[in-house]
Formats: sequence, structure tokens, C-alpha cells
Amino acid sequence: MSGYQTDAARIQERGQRRAKQGLSRWAGRLGLSRFSGLYIWAGFILLFGILTPDTFLTSKTLTSVGSEQAITGILAIGVLFPLSAGVFDLSAAQNLGLAAVGSGWLMSQVHVSPLLAIALTLGFGALIGTANGFLVTIIGVNSFITTLGMTSVLLAIAEGIANGNYFGPFPNSFSNLTSGSPLGIPIVVIYLFVAAGVAWYVLEHTPVGRRLHACGANKEAARLTGVPTRRYIFLSFVACGVIASASGVLLSSQLGSVSQTIGPSYLLPAYAACFLGTTQLKPERFNVWGTMIALYLLATGVEGLQLVGAQLWVTDLFNGAALIGAVSIAVVSERRRAHVETAAPEPSESEVAKLEKPRTESTPVLPNQSRREESKDAVERETSTR
Amino acid sequence: MSSSRDAETLAAEALTLKGVSKRFRGQRALESVQLHVRAGEVHALLGVNGSGKSTLIKILAGYHAPEHGASAQLHGRGFTLGSAAAAAEGGLRFVHQDLGLIASLTVAENLTLGVGHGSLIWTSKRQDRRVAGKLLKELSLDIDPGLHVRQLSTAHQTMVAIVRALRGTVDKRTILVLDEPTAALPAHEVQQVFDIVRRIRRAGGSVIYVTHRLAEVQALCDRVTVLRDGQHIATREVAALTHDELVELVIGRALENLGQTQHQSSATTPVLGVETLSGDTVRDFSLTVGAGETVGITGLVGSGYEEVSGLIFGSRRRTGGEVRLAGAMIRGNSPREAIRAGIAFTPADRKGGGGMMGWTLRENLTLPRLVAAGPLRWMSPRNERLEARGWLERLEVRPLDPEASFSSLSGGNQQKVVLARWLRCNARVFIFDQPTVGVDLGARRGIYRSMAEVARSGAAVLMSSSEAEELCEVCDRVVVMRRGGVGAVLEGSELTAERVVAEGLVVA
Repeated sequence: MSGYQTDAARIQERGQRRAKQGLSRWAGRLGLSRFSGLYIWAGFILLFGILTPDTFLTSKTLTSVGSEQAITGILAIGVLFPLSAGVFDLSAAQNLGLAAVGSGWLMSQVHVSPLLAIALTLGFGALIGTANGFLVTIIGVNSFITTLGMTSVLLAIAEGIANGNYFGPFPNSFSNLTSGSPLGIPIVVIYLFVAAGVAWYVLEHTPVGRRLHACGANKEAARLTGVPTRRYIFLSFVACGVIASASGVLLSSQLGSVSQTIGPSYLLPAYAACFLGTTQLKPERFNVWGTMIALYLLATGVEGLQLVGAQLWVTDLFNGAALIGAVSIAVVSERRRAHVETAAPEPSESEVAKLEKPRTESTPVLPNQSRREESKDAVERETSTR
Repeated sequence: MSSSRDAETLAAEALTLKGVSKRFRGQRALESVQLHVRAGEVHALLGVNGSGKSTLIKILAGYHAPEHGASAQLHGRGFTLGSAAAAAEGGLRFVHQDLGLIASLTVAENLTLGVGHGSLIWTSKRQDRRVAGKLLKELSLDIDPGLHVRQLSTAHQTMVAIVRALRGTVDKRTILVLDEPTAALPAHEVQQVFDIVRRIRRAGGSVIYVTHRLAEVQALCDRVTVLRDGQHIATREVAALTHDELVELVIGRALENLGQTQHQSSATTPVLGVETLSGDTVRDFSLTVGAGETVGITGLVGSGYEEVSGLIFGSRRRTGGEVRLAGAMIRGNSPREAIRAGIAFTPADRKGGGGMMGWTLRENLTLPRLVAAGPLRWMSPRNERLEARGWLERLEVRPLDPEASFSSLSGGNQQKVVLARWLRCNARVFIFDQPTVGVDLGARRGIYRSMAEVARSGAAVLMSSSEAEELCEVCDRVVVMRRGGVGAVLEGSELTAERVVAEGLVVA
């Protein structure tokens, strides 16, 4: 190979490298990985805004998406507690369903006051959480199985109570719980954001939250650093039970008439939001605001598709695909990060490492491929600096 | 067979590697390394972690491809490096450190897995067992093929893995590569692995024995190749080397005397008091550790020495006895109470129990004692970062970044973070549960140094270990356990490696 050719090749390669660096620098500046959800969200709004400007870009769409998702959002916040502690509560959605039916039944059939009905429902939610917690932490049953079974038990109770009937209408004081909209914001959306704020505070800025996350990160290591792991996992189920039944009460109030079939359909959107949330803001962690972004990102996508004229089944398809996609992204990015860390012995060791690092973070490359390229780059660099 | 190993076969080279280089992300892993393995010898590949041993083995196994300029010969014929098929074809057999056995299956199932059965549809247990029995017999091993792998001792598991790798046949073409086969073995089982290695040599096969344990090289191997920083340092006859010369080859300098622990009189104020402790296999174990004192606990597997530290800390269930800290009894039976009282614990399984791999250094550091302000228990990330940075500086952790991920640190630095975590809690008793398992020579020195520093600051240090030499170097006093209780307490001139081993073997 002549000198001219190698030079040309080198210049070309350097140009490509610089272009890649430029791209990754931009990606870094925009926080493309951590905030990707916001950009996709903006993309959705732009896309559907162009496709159906008359129906999509209206305040009606905004309030309907906002209030429809508030219940799912509160349920997702409840589910975040056990998920942070490393356990599943699949019964949360049916807990919501039972709370909706149960509170309706208490008011319309047993004729108790709304306040008492709410208190009893929340109490029962706590009881469900306690049962889950007991089975998982004291008996030692796998959380997935426990709460899967619990779902069926709760479904049976809901069916037993409702017996195929609809409950409703409810007293005004109960309906008023969800009907106001101060400052033009639906009150349920305000509930959601208050709940999110409190959950964010507890889960991400108190010792309780840190220890809860420790249980999820490595239960044995948490125990050996003095975290009473069983107690925390137990309490996470109770918290989830109460929050889930609270969202059921709100749903009952919002709908005004409830049947036994409510519930199961809330499971997937809530989990999709939580898992998609782990790719946002605080990567690889369950976090509240990431979940909120994911929730509204998914809802906007679904709403837009429906307005464009898609069939109803698109909702299920979209949420399911988003859940699988989100978890895949999380798994792949974790693996890639682990790879980057093991392959680079000492960060900040060499200039090469510094330059190459952003690239591996922003553009997916096969492990072997990247390694070979980089070693070549490194040799290049050394020869060119001499 | 061994008598027929005449000069001619000795000289014949089973495997020759020359000019093997490898870089990862610009970092040199191997630099023009050579390896000459004679037919019918046990050849040690020796070096500390990161010296390039595993990279070389992975190239040999075809997992990595070497850089241009490498050449290899197997039994006098050219051989392509970087191809798993060519390696298998040429008679290279590998047993990796994690063995790769399936614990829930039987020995027979593990041995016949993937070989293909007589019939495609029906797998016959009886036939599996017969085939497995034959394979085991070839190496005259007395292991019941019907047992589940998890029922076997670690040594027997290693043997099954070796049998599986060899597939029953050992001949002059066989080159068995054993990657640290004794890393997870208790001392008395090591001999069993040695036996099978010698048997393979007797049958004419060659063995490449990867290790960082010098004693094993001297006990077992014919020749040794030493790697350091990815470079070939030397290939020598083991018989012609003394222990000290070997150490010097491995670490590149003479080993400074580690036994500089100031042997303080055991009349220091007692900090940790353990009285008639029972639980698991431990019965009525009593011990006192004074301020600034380092006490070792050892014994055979099953003597209970592995369990004592967990029982004291409360991570294992105590069924009797009490633990006192500076005279005050620790109530309850959980790590939480022990930590509150001032006991620190570094578990043997660092990956599983030491730190949160995905967490930042800051989060790992503050977990046992979280500082929150006000009635609302708000934790300020900024204050946390500031405090964490101070600790990282104090213990010279690299990188000095509170937000770095724990998993990105080297083993030694991870150890420092874990140590900082406990220093921050003002721990007065430090329990090190088998701190040097799977740790190389260089990093060991770091661990010994930090243990010595902790002791010098006036804390009581308790360490469990299966290595007599290590205990003699580090500890003021060593408790040898037998059948769940204290067998012997050695200190001063009595504290020698031979004595520690001998006391463990006494049949009570």
C-alpha cells in the first residue's frame, strides 16, 4: 500500500470518526438517552398534530388524555413501591377493580356513607397488601406467583359481590370527588401529580426510599448492611395495596357506575409505564418522574392513533409492544454498560478511552465489532501522534 | 508409564505458541507472549490477576482471535488460533473456573449432555448411567453417576467437569487446560484434584494448569511459565526454583515481609466478647478480641469456621450464646442490631453481598447510616456527595468520583469503598469473612494493609480464612476450630502454618 493511499484512508477515517464524535456530543448535550422519552413524546405530538390538527391539537384531547390516564398513573405509582423493592404486585390492578366495585356496592347496596365506604375500601386494600406481604416475606412464596393467585381471589370476590350487576349512581358527594377542575385542570390530574410528588419524595429522597431500592438492587447485600429487608418488602406491598384501592375508589367516582369487569385492563398500562420509566431520567432504576413521562408518552401515542382512525385494539398492541420494547432496551443498555465497564480497565487512563466512550453510549454496536474498531483506532492514533 | 517418559518424549512439544499479542480498546492485554508445553508434562501458567493468563487461555480456546504475527503449533503441526473447532480437533480440552455443570442434573446427565444418545427420541437413564460410569472409570474415579451434581463435594464436581471435558479419552494428543481448578476448593480437597491431574500425566496427556497459588505450582507442576503485565517473564523447571524466586518472578520484586504486625500483648482491653455461641454447626464457641488485635478463625470444612463470623454478625441464625461489644450485650439477632452496636462485616461473596453493583459509590457508602435532615427526613444529594467524596479521598479510591458506578471499580477499590462505609459508621469490630478468596497476590497485600490499619486505629479485627500461611502472617492469634467448637488457640511462637494445619486435623 502506498503512502498516499494510507493517508487518504486515514483522513477519511478521521472524518468519519469526527462525524460520529460530533453526533455523540450532540446526543450527550441533549441528554438523548436519559430524556429520549420527552423527545419521542414531542415527536408524537408533532406527528399527530400534522396528521389530524383539528382533533388532536385541542384542549379537549389534552384534558381527556390527562384525566383518563390519571387513574392508571396513580396505580403505577402504587406498583412502583414493590417494584423498587424487587418484587412484583400483579394483584394491584384487580385490587383497583375490587375497590371500584366494592365501594360502589357499599354505597348503593349496603347504603353506607361515602366516607365510610372509602375508609372501608382503603382498609381492605391494606389488608390485601398485608396478605401479599405475609405470603411473600414470612411464608416465602415467590411474589409473582403470590400476587397472580391473589388476582384470581380478588376477581372472585368482585364477581361474588357484583353477581353480574352494575352499581350506581352514587351520591353526589362521592361523584364530586373527581368532577371538579380548578384552573381548568381536571382534579384527578392534580391528584396524580400530588401523589407523584409525595412518592418521588419518599422513594427518591428519604432513607426509607433508599433502603427500599436497596432491597431491589441486592437483597442479600442490603440485609448485610443492616436493612431489615423483609419489613421493607412487606410494607411496600401494603403501600401498593392502599394506593391501588385508592385509585379504584377514584375510578368508581369518575365512572359513576361500575361492574365486575373493571380491573384487569389496568395492569399492563401501569406496568408498561413503570418499566418504560426505567429507561428515563434515572436509567435502570424505577423512578417516579420517568414513570410519569412514560405514562403520558404511551397515552399520547394511543390517543393519536385512535384519532387518526386506528381500531380499538391498537391500544393493547401499543401498550404491549411498549412494555416489551422498554424492557428490551433496559436489558440491552445494561449489558452494554457492563461490557463497556469491563472492557475499559481504567477510565480516564488514556485519551483514546475518553474519546471513544461517548460513542459506545450513543450508537449501538456489536461488542466484538466495537472492540476491533477501537483497537484499530488506537493504533492509528499512536502512529499519527508520533 | 512415567518410567517410559524418556528424553525423546520429554523434548517433544505438544503445544507451541509464539508472538501472541492482544489489545482490548487500546489496552495491551498480551504482548508477544510465548508458551511451550511439552508432551506429558503439567505446565503451570502463573501470574496475578490481570497478567494475561485468562486472555491467553481464551485465545487458545478460540474465544478471542490474536493479533497478526502469532503462530501456533499443536503436536508439530500448524494450528489456527482463534477457532474453537480447531482447538477441539487438535486435542485441546478446557475446564473453566465455573466448571459449567448443571447442579440440578445428575452426574450421568451432565456427562452425556450434548454428546447424543442412542436414540433421538428416547433418552434412556440406564444407558446414560452406563456411559457415564464408563467415562468415570477411565480415570478410575469412584463417583456414583446417579447422584445429583449439587450433592457432590466441590472437588468431585471439579472431577466430573474434567471427565466431561476429556470425554473419557486421554492419550498423547490430549492437552487439558485447567483454569484455576482449586480456587473454590477447601484445602483438604485440593489433593484429590492433584491426583487426577497426575493420573492424566501418567496416561501421557499434557496439562496446562492456570493458577496464582505458588504452593500448587511447587507441589504439582513440572515446569512453569510466568506472565506479568501481559508479557512472558520466564519459563523454568519448577524443581530448580525456590519459593522466594517464584514470588519474585510473579510480582516482579522480592516480597516484603508481611509479618510486621506488632505482636501486642493479648492483655489489651477486650472489645468483642463471644460467649457459648451456637447455631448451624457451631456449638458453644467462645472468644474475646481486644482493641488493636487481629484474630483468625480457621479449620477444616465442616468444622464451623465459615459460619462463626456470620453468627457473630447476626446474618446467620443464633440458637444460643451471646455477643458483647465492650461489655454491652447486643440484643436481637440481625445484622441491623450488630451494625448499630458497631460491628462491621465484609462477606466472603463480594459480588453477592458486598456492594450494590449498579449503584454509585456515594449510595454504597452511605447505605448503612443514611443522614436525613428535618422532620421530613429529606436526604440532600449534595451533602451526601460531599461526604462521600471525603471518604473516597481518605481511602484513596480510584476513580475519585462519588457518582461512579460501583461495578466499574477494580476489586481492590471496591474493597476500599466497603471499608470506608464501615469506618464511616465508627465500627469498633471488623469481621472479614474469607477476605482473600479468589484475590490475587497484589490485591491481597492491599487487603492485609487495610486490615492492619483498622487494627492500628484501635478496632478489633476478626478474620476467617482457610489458608494457614495467610493467617500466620496477618493474625496475632488464631483459633482452630474442630467439630463446631474451639479446637486450639495458637499465638506467639506456636503460631506456624504447620501447627495450624495439624491442629485442624486432630481427631477430637
